[in-house]
Amino acid sequence: MARVQTKFFGSLEYSPSSVFLFPGGLPGFEEQREFVFLNLPERDPLIFMQSLSTRNLCFVLLPIFVVDPQYGLDFTPEELIELNLPLDRPPAIGKDILCAAMIGSAEGATPTANLMAPVIVNLKERIGAQVIHGDSGYSHRHPLLFEEPALTC
Amino acid sequence: MLVVWRRAGQSVMIGEDTEIEVLDARANRVKLGIKAPVSIAIVRKEALLTRNENLTAAWSMDEVSIKSLLSRLPR
Repeated sequence: MARVQTKFFGSLEYSPSSVFLFPGGLPGFEEQREFVFLNLPERDPLIFMQSLSTRNLCFVLLPIFVVDPQYGLDFTPEELIELNLPLDRPPAIGKDILCAAMIGSAEGATPTANLMAPVIVNLKERIGAQVIHGDSGYSHRHPLLFEEPALTC
Repeated sequence: MLVVWRRAGQSVMIGEDTEIEVLDARANRVKLGIKAPVSIAIVRKEALLTRNENLTAAWSMDEVSIKSLLSRLPR
């Protein structure tokens, strides 16, 4: 077991088999290639995407269906190849891939999720990328309101 | 916003040095060729938006905002 210094949880043990490789990094963080995903019961359903090389870099993500239960995304063949995913069928979220939205919280504003560019991870091959779909109709700043559904009589 | 109709093969100039040419135009997308000085960064808008969101996400989430977010989430 190796240890990683984390932004929020101190020093944690991790298994080398739980490291995910992002060959192209992420937009704005192109040099960051290796991450571990932390899913702590007391912070469920949040996913913490901790950089292995930079202690202070830890993205907070939400599974895409927590943000939008109807979410759907069509991958291009280039994206499937980039993620080492089979070309003959669409990948199943939760089974083949993790699909999660990056959360940001600009000062004083409602936190938002980037649904336009979800973080996708091939769970079997442990390869990830942020897939940018500018024409998907999804917002890069989807407000996380989670309002209670209106009661109907 | 300035709006101009162009056909494939036609261009617009932005200043003296930047040219945007329509190389191909199809029903739902166009192929653009851009000639510009190397000092000008050219990036797809959605990639720039995502870069900015990533930078915000990296610095904005702290213990306080995480607790606040958890309290909003449906359990």
